[in-house]
Amino acid sequence: MLIPLSPLALSVYNRAAMRVRYLSLTNFRNYARLELALPERPLLLHGANAQGKTSLLEAIYLLATGSSPLTSLDRQLINWEAEAGGLPYARVWAEVVRRDRVQEVEVILEKKPLANGTTRLQKTIRIDRVRKRRADLAGRLNVVLFMPQDVDLIAGPPAGRRRYLDDTLCQVDRAYCTALEHYTEALRQRNAALRHLRDEGGDPAQLAPFEEVLAREGVVIANGRRELVAALSQRADRIHQQLTGGAEWLRLEYRPNFDPAAPPALKYQMGLGLQPYEGPPLGVGAEGLVAAFRQALLTRRADEIARGMTLIGPHRDELRFVAGSPAQGTHEVDLGTYGSRGQQRTAVLALKLAELAFLQARTGEAPVLLLDEVLAELDAARRRYLLSQVDRVEQAVLTATDPEMFSAEFRERAVLMEVRGGIVTEAAAG
Amino acid sequence: MQTAPASVTRLIEELAELPGIGRKTAARLTYFLLRDKSDLAGRLAEALRNLKERTRFCSVCYNVTEEDPCPICADPGRDHTIICVVEEPLDVLALEQAGVYKGVYHVLHGVLAPSEGMFVEDLRIGELVARVRGSDVEEVILATNPTSEGDWTASYLLTRLRPLGVRITRLGRGLPVGGDLEYADAVTLTRALEGREAI
Repeated sequence: MLIPLSPLALSVYNRAAMRVRYLSLTNFRNYARLELALPERPLLLHGANAQGKTSLLEAIYLLATGSSPLTSLDRQLINWEAEAGGLPYARVWAEVVRRDRVQEVEVILEKKPLANGTTRLQKTIRIDRVRKRRADLAGRLNVVLFMPQDVDLIAGPPAGRRRYLDDTLCQVDRAYCTALEHYTEALRQRNAALRHLRDEGGDPAQLAPFEEVLAREGVVIANGRRELVAALSQRADRIHQQLTGGAEWLRLEYRPNFDPAAPPALKYQMGLGLQPYEGPPLGVGAEGLVAAFRQALLTRRADEIARGMTLIGPHRDELRFVAGSPAQGTHEVDLGTYGSRGQQRTAVLALKLAELAFLQARTGEAPVLLLDEVLAELDAARRRYLLSQVDRVEQAVLTATDPEMFSAEFRERAVLMEVRGGIVTEAAAG
Repeated sequence: MQTAPASVTRLIEELAELPGIGRKTAARLTYFLLRDKSDLAGRLAEALRNLKERTRFCSVCYNVTEEDPCPICADPGRDHTIICVVEEPLDVLALEQAGVYKGVYHVLHGVLAPSEGMFVEDLRIGELVARVRGSDVEEVILATNPTSEGDWTASYLLTRLRPLGVRITRLGRGLPVGGDLEYADAVTLTRALEGREAI
């Protein structure tokens, strides 16, 4: 339902960049139903734990990326009471205002019963009520989400870092998102075929159709990630230096699992050392890379059949965070392995702010900033630095168990709402 | 709880096994048959028994048939130098209804989809290769569906058929007739542009 905009309102939206104007949740997490007009000022959600503050941010993130930042099991997003009551579906709907248009973005999750008694989760994405693919979400709504557990991104398992890169790119790059979908599906099929060949034998040539897809899309994925990491690294370093008062620099390193451009010896060295990855040498075109990847898959077939899985490709890429200090010369530290918790926290803050700058540079509009309970983890100086970013974006949604954590001045210009048991109410006084 | 007699429940359960038929529909169909006075149940039972007893696969094209070889393979009026490869017997029916194709068929009975347990060994591919090899077949049309699975299957068929030196073609893909350009998705439009023709 779009309300016609008055000329006055239009002038406001011309000035305005991207923001979520209205959010509607049905059976999402602990929200049975939420209808919320989001204010133009920063929104501060407060309330005790497990009341639904984070779920609201999660819903907005889901609309931007098509996936939850907290779980890879979409069925967990469906309100369990609704499910028990025989309504196994969840719906997230928003009205997104961009500089030049207003769009409805919607994600529906539905459990469909299968003949064999189990259920299958169906995810439907709709834009302006027309059914679309996940890749079509790119460029509709961009968000940067910062949560306390994001610090695990640096030292946690590599799958989390790959997912971070994918979710960030899928917000802006439709071609990347499509390539990722095709790659993931071909990988699943090829692994099933590898297990079949291992257990029952058969014609290994049936792997070729999937290898073709993996090679072609794998190169798109590797190129996208390489460019993104380079863009983030540069910005994150600048912010990291500001945050540490120039005491420490930061570098993000993309380490592709399969690097057709690197000779085997150098590749081995790269796994050990910390020298930055430079990318393929000039003259190696995309076609050459695809051919090299295809050839590598072909060469490894016997080994991969024995193991029953695909061992090379972007699904095994790594991203590392390396820091050093001008005071210590050339000495560098891999923060994932040797960084202190405090260093990791600073690096992840720099990463998130770099992501903000990247999305803004890429789209020309500031993304929506979602900050979940992160202030508690930061010292006063970093807290001030982060809150100064809230003024730079069009829309910010923050959560806190204790609103007193924010300065009186900040609370004055924010809209405070209380979240309790899946119900959001505006506080009487700001 | 009052339950229906065993023979009623049995038919409901069997019908509910069919694709697209849930328990409610199955029950409705069952009671319809029970009330029916024209012996529909008897005719249906006979038709069902014949379905399996009288039909078999054609030993040439693997389409479903009552005679072997099937009427299409046995027809001297058709062009036996062109084979159209399809996924399912229903695809043959669709092409025959269009009435323009005068060659013969080969039915794969499925597509390559390892994660669903469908491998090339489960398809009638070896039979197709044997049929083409050393024959006077000049052209093989790959008419698998324009889906991922259909494309993977066609891609594998290509690797098996190419060494035989036969002409291999794929069905044209693009806009549906009577469709609207503005509602076509990006992939379809890309394919339609790639496959454009001089007129």
